[in-house]
Amino acid sequence: MQLSIRNLSKTYSNGVRALNNVSLEISTGMFGLLGPNGAGKSTLMRTLATLQDADSGEVQLGSLDVLRQKHEVRQTLGYLPQSFGVYPRVSAEELLDHFARLKGIHDRAERAARVEALLRQTNLWEVRKRPVGKYSGGMKQRFGIAQALIGNPSLVIVDEPTAGLDPAERYRFHNLLSEIGEQIIVILSTHIVEDVSDLCERMAIIHRGEVLVQGQPLELIRGAEGRIWEASIEKTELEAIQQQHNVISSRHFAGKILVRAWSEAQPAERFEAARPSLEDVYFFQIKSRELAAAGA
Amino acid sequence: MYTIFLFELRYRLKRPATYIYMLLFLGVGLLYGSILAGGLGPEPAGILTGGGKNLGNSPYSLHLILISLAQIGIFAVAAFMGVPVIRDFEYHAHELFFTKPITKLDYLGGRYLGSLLLTVLVLICIPLGLMIAFAMPYAIPEKVGPFSLSHYVVPFVMHVLPFTLFTGSIFFATVSLSRNNLFIYLNAIVVIVLLSVASALTSELDNKTLASLLDPTGSTAFTNTTEYWTVAERNTRTLPATWITVGNQAIWAAVGLGILALVYARFRMAASMESGRASAPKAAKAGAMLRQLGNSVTLQKVELPKVRLRFGMGPYLGILRRIMRQEFRWVISSPIFWAIVGVGILLSVVVLVFGGQLFGTPTLPVTYQVLAQLQGQLQLFILAIIVFYTGEMVWRERGNELHEIYDALPMPTWITLAAKYLAITGVIYLLMAVVMLVGLTTQVVQGFFTFNFPMYFAALFFFWPINLLIFSALAFFVQILSQNKFLGFFLTVLVYLGWTLALGLIGVEDNLASFSGSPGLVYSDMNGYGHYAGPYLIFKLYWGSLAAAMLILGNALWQRGTGDSLRDRLRSLGQRLDRRGQIALGAALAVFLGTGGFIYYNTHILNDFQNSREAQRQQAEQEKAYSRYAALPMPRITDVRIAVDLFPKDRNFDLRGSYRLENKTDSAVREVHLSFLTGVRYRELALSRPAERTLYDTVMGYAILRLAEPMLPGDTAELRFEAEYRTRGFVNSGPNSQIVANGTFLNHYYFPLIGYQRDFELQDTDLRKKYGLPERERFPNIDDTAALRNTLFANDADWIGFEAVVSTEPDQIALAPGYLEREWNENGRRYFHYKMDSKMAKFWNISSARYTVQRDVWKAPDGRDISLEIYHHASHTYNLERMMEGMKRSLEYYTEAFGPYQHRQVRILEFPRYQGFAQSFANTIPFSEAIGFIADVKEGDVDYPLYITAHEVAHQWWAHQVAGGAVQGFQFLSETMSQYAALMVMAHKFGPEEIRKYLKYEMNQYLQGRTGERVEEKPALLSENQLYIHYNKGSVIMYALQDYIGEDSLNAALKRYVAQVRFQEPPYTTTREWRRYVDAVTPDSVKHVLRDWFDEITLYDLKTDSVRVDSAGGAYKVILTYEAKKFRDDGRGEETEVPVEDYVDVGIFAREKTDGEWKPVPLYFRKHKLSSGVNTLEIPVDRKPYEAGIDPYNKLIDRKPDDNTRRF
Repeated sequence: MQLSIRNLSKTYSNGVRALNNVSLEISTGMFGLLGPNGAGKSTLMRTLATLQDADSGEVQLGSLDVLRQKHEVRQTLGYLPQSFGVYPRVSAEELLDHFARLKGIHDRAERAARVEALLRQTNLWEVRKRPVGKYSGGMKQRFGIAQALIGNPSLVIVDEPTAGLDPAERYRFHNLLSEIGEQIIVILSTHIVEDVSDLCERMAIIHRGEVLVQGQPLELIRGAEGRIWEASIEKTELEAIQQQHNVISSRHFAGKILVRAWSEAQPAERFEAARPSLEDVYFFQIKSRELAAAGA
Repeated sequence: MYTIFLFELRYRLKRPATYIYMLLFLGVGLLYGSILAGGLGPEPAGILTGGGKNLGNSPYSLHLILISLAQIGIFAVAAFMGVPVIRDFEYHAHELFFTKPITKLDYLGGRYLGSLLLTVLVLICIPLGLMIAFAMPYAIPEKVGPFSLSHYVVPFVMHVLPFTLFTGSIFFATVSLSRNNLFIYLNAIVVIVLLSVASALTSELDNKTLASLLDPTGSTAFTNTTEYWTVAERNTRTLPATWITVGNQAIWAAVGLGILALVYARFRMAASMESGRASAPKAAKAGAMLRQLGNSVTLQKVELPKVRLRFGMGPYLGILRRIMRQEFRWVISSPIFWAIVGVGILLSVVVLVFGGQLFGTPTLPVTYQVLAQLQGQLQLFILAIIVFYTGEMVWRERGNELHEIYDALPMPTWITLAAKYLAITGVIYLLMAVVMLVGLTTQVVQGFFTFNFPMYFAALFFFWPINLLIFSALAFFVQILSQNKFLGFFLTVLVYLGWTLALGLIGVEDNLASFSGSPGLVYSDMNGYGHYAGPYLIFKLYWGSLAAAMLILGNALWQRGTGDSLRDRLRSLGQRLDRRGQIALGAALAVFLGTGGFIYYNTHILNDFQNSREAQRQQAEQEKAYSRYAALPMPRITDVRIAVDLFPKDRNFDLRGSYRLENKTDSAVREVHLSFLTGVRYRELALSRPAERTLYDTVMGYAILRLAEPMLPGDTAELRFEAEYRTRGFVNSGPNSQIVANGTFLNHYYFPLIGYQRDFELQDTDLRKKYGLPERERFPNIDDTAALRNTLFANDADWIGFEAVVSTEPDQIALAPGYLEREWNENGRRYFHYKMDSKMAKFWNISSARYTVQRDVWKAPDGRDISLEIYHHASHTYNLERMMEGMKRSLEYYTEAFGPYQHRQVRILEFPRYQGFAQSFANTIPFSEAIGFIADVKEGDVDYPLYITAHEVAHQWWAHQVAGGAVQGFQFLSETMSQYAALMVMAHKFGPEEIRKYLKYEMNQYLQGRTGERVEEKPALLSENQLYIHYNKGSVIMYALQDYIGEDSLNAALKRYVAQVRFQEPPYTTTREWRRYVDAVTPDSVKHVLRDWFDEITLYDLKTDSVRVDSAGGAYKVILTYEAKKFRDDGRGEETEVPVEDYVDVGIFAREKTDGEWKPVPLYFRKHKLSSGVNTLEIPVDRKPYEAGIDPYNKLIDRKPDDNTRRF
């Protein structure tokens, strides 16, 4: 199964250009869509989830035209929106059963088995009788993934699923996603770099509605090898350093400030070569795009 | 607090919704102002103001309209007062606020005051709109008085503000405390309930004060305070600040403040309203969960059981059922739903117990009555439930932010809408079942077991739900188009009212245009749904197909996904409507247009479509064309022979017959003019003398036969006619209910009338002006000698001989005045031949129905047997004995008091409840099934079957023997005298105490009736067809008159009068002649009553200021200080005080317990000559008094009857 997105563009009526000529090739496995808030990730996800129309472009899922054959796409789709609510006073078990039915699972026994399995997988079995509305953020998020997986989807879209989860919950979540991601397409949008680096075989960085780069995380990291330099500086020097060098990130570390710069050669003596991470690639890409936008 | 206040204001002022509400209310003010100012013509203005000389911007009209419109303001109050706190919770801003260093008082106070100010600003737009309307060029100058700001400010401050404070506090409180939007809605219900309870209580006269205080809108206090205001007072007086008007609003404002205090006490500046206790175990639980999670971080294989997904119509229908059940369950498991239903039922039961009354006497709980009451009471509740839950359902997913998941589910969009609409359908049917249960219970509780199950099922599971389902479709459609749920509620109500009420106000009466319009549905025990059912269903098919079209369009416009705005959805409607949608929409529209065309063909082509304006225009044209013939000499009818063939099933009849005409004038008659109903088509209309038909106007119903040779005085001729009446298809509204399948009741207006008929002219002054007709006096002057030659019955006959042959279907009995000569069957039809053996008024009816007959005989003092017969619907046997007794007692009393009865038979004929009156024809009294036949007269109630019977039998003397000339005061001679006669029959049976109860009702009716006078109130003897005078005032003053001069001497005078004038030839008698006979028996000392009550309009203000008792040695001396005033009204509401020198009852009472009840026992009762001003009476009595006063029995007309007596 292959999902091809070609030249997808969308401009909102208030003039915001959410998607600008986006093209992506996504095949089975986990695909990470990385970008800062407001990059257009959610617009892309909603468009793929048949909730929104694009102005131009094409999206093909296997033999399906996603933009036109919405009904058929929905039959194979699992979708976890960025934020969602539930019917008040309805328990997790009931609600999941309701969604299962609406997804097309008509056999009562099959439905019950599936619901139970998912609730156990998401560790909600103990609290299945409680209304979802009373769940904590993490529990609700796990319920969200359970409902996304209820109907044998071949395309799963999860939009910012790990926001607000504690580390243990995140691991569990990752585990679940990567397990199911072996046979189907899972698109994961996030602004957290580790989500992608931990899970995804392929990824794209998206910013201001444009795809900046796409590929395998390891390859992208490899591409940055020898270009990442790190220095430990005083707080007072930060401004000067930032002006002189192509600083892509800076953070506090042991009372000093650790800055990382992107450069083909050692930028200055105090900079030492550092092992690149996906985060560096991400920050570099965003910064370059920002500079280009400012220059233009 | 100030910061929060400003924040609230600024936030609101930035929102477009605020301005939308302002514009809407400005528009509402403008609309009502324009109506009041006559901008839409005089009739709509008249509906609101009472018409006539009432000004549109009188302090009274403005106050009333502002009170009413403040109730519409509830929408603004709900939007502005209910939302602010919950908004913080919805946007999770409460955490920000609650962690800031602000106190509870700052937070709540700021929010509350800010919202209140905004609400007031929005509501101020209503009076602004009104003001603008009166300045518009289309305002009719006569309807607009000088501008005065205080006329707007006073009602706004006195009523709108306190009401807003009260309702606003409730909204603010419930939503703040519950943090649940649902409660916003519940509040509206609370207000409606208070309103309804107040109005139910108002109908009980004694509880007016309580009702006034209870009604939070203040409208009951307003109506009760102003109920006796004349037009002059309405135009000039502002509402006085009495303890009732101010007290009422103070109470509710205080309740509002109390609620606020409660909010302050209960509100917690915390994220959750749940108490702190609950949070501890919760935290523990969460901790346990974390540990559990921590244990399972190791990777494991995920195995999900396989499932099969099925798609297609079968599975979709399964899903539809699932969603429908889910939605239905959510509605019926909501406590608010049952709260609304419970309150509605409670209210309707209250009304059922107190309601269905006539003269304070309830009717039997027959099924149609129970259902009509329930439907009337519950309609509003059910519509509210539909509006509310439609909104909930449409916004269920979006409102709960579940739509992104829901909308990506693999099922067609239509499933959702269909399921939700079916869920509402289920709710409606559930409600219908509840209504049926309530209805049956009410019947059982009242010991009534004649359940009409077919009607229950037809009404509750067929006719009523159809209407509700059409409305539901509209509600769904509006919600789908709306931006949010609350705006949707408001828009639904607005669209519905605009599409129904407002259309009616601007004069659109076509049921093809008014939403869900139909000619209505009236059930009669006699005739079932009769001729109403067919047209009702066709109209509902028409509107139902539009409803279907709305649902199909609504489905296409249903928002699925996150993208499209309403504008986008509308623009892409073409694509959104798929092929099947197009076919369905096409089919719905085809049915809509098809039935519409069929209805149009029936209501506009087969039948003349006349809305009331066109009917008026036609009336005006007829007058313009033919009134010039009004003074032409015409022959008069002396003998009538008619044959009528009724075809009740088809609602057709044929008529033929002949009139014998005689020229009773002293000039030659050259032309015979005829007026006739346009629905009757004449095949023959000819004279026995050579004559030429020079005019035959079938549009206006006028014909002229020019005689070859004039009829000289004394000449006679025969008018022969043959005609048919055919019911064709159906009409837009008001179908002919006189010729029906079972219960036909035709009158003589279906037969030709001789000469121009002034009775058919437009009466209303405003309307006459509008259509360019000259001013005419409302009624011929008592000195009008030409008018004196006619009676109330006719201007084309004096007394006639009468004979009729009526044929009908074989299972029906047909009746007409006269005695049955012969009855036979011929050609499968049943024939009846009636003949009157003495002369009678030209006034006859033709009746036919499947009757059961009850017979009895009354022996007259002269030895004649008078046969008494009641022709009734088989099951209506409840009050036959009372009616029989009424006939006997009446004949007894009237023969004695007024002279002999002219016939040898009295017959009462029941007719269907399409009209609710009884009417007296010679020896024949048609009597509506709605009055009397199903009365439930209990111990102590007014026995109105007997009373109405007595009134109608009295007409056999007062109308059918004494026929007054058709001038001022003629109804005094017929109606007032019949009221008096019936009152005396009642007094002899039940005693004076019962009569006092009844007269209290009559007095109130008179005092209220005169406030609605549009031209001029006349003295009793000169009344001009004014019901409140000749019925209500007439009863009061005639009863008082016999009390003042004695029953026997009054009756002796009346008997002499009757003997003098009965069956007289023209000129006919007048009230002047009547007065001479009465004056002759009135002692000089009480002559003032004739002048004050009969010749003038007099109102008393009698009051006992204080009562004191000096007791010494077993003797009691009562010292009573009274104040007496007397006013003369000039008929236009201008009153002048005149001196009191009148004899008035003075009564002193002890009280005794009889049958467990305290009853007053008179210790002293005599008439004293009282004088104006404050005076004191000293009266010794021999027992300890309890209560004393002047005119204790309220015989005199007094607007404040309660202060006549005082307790010691």
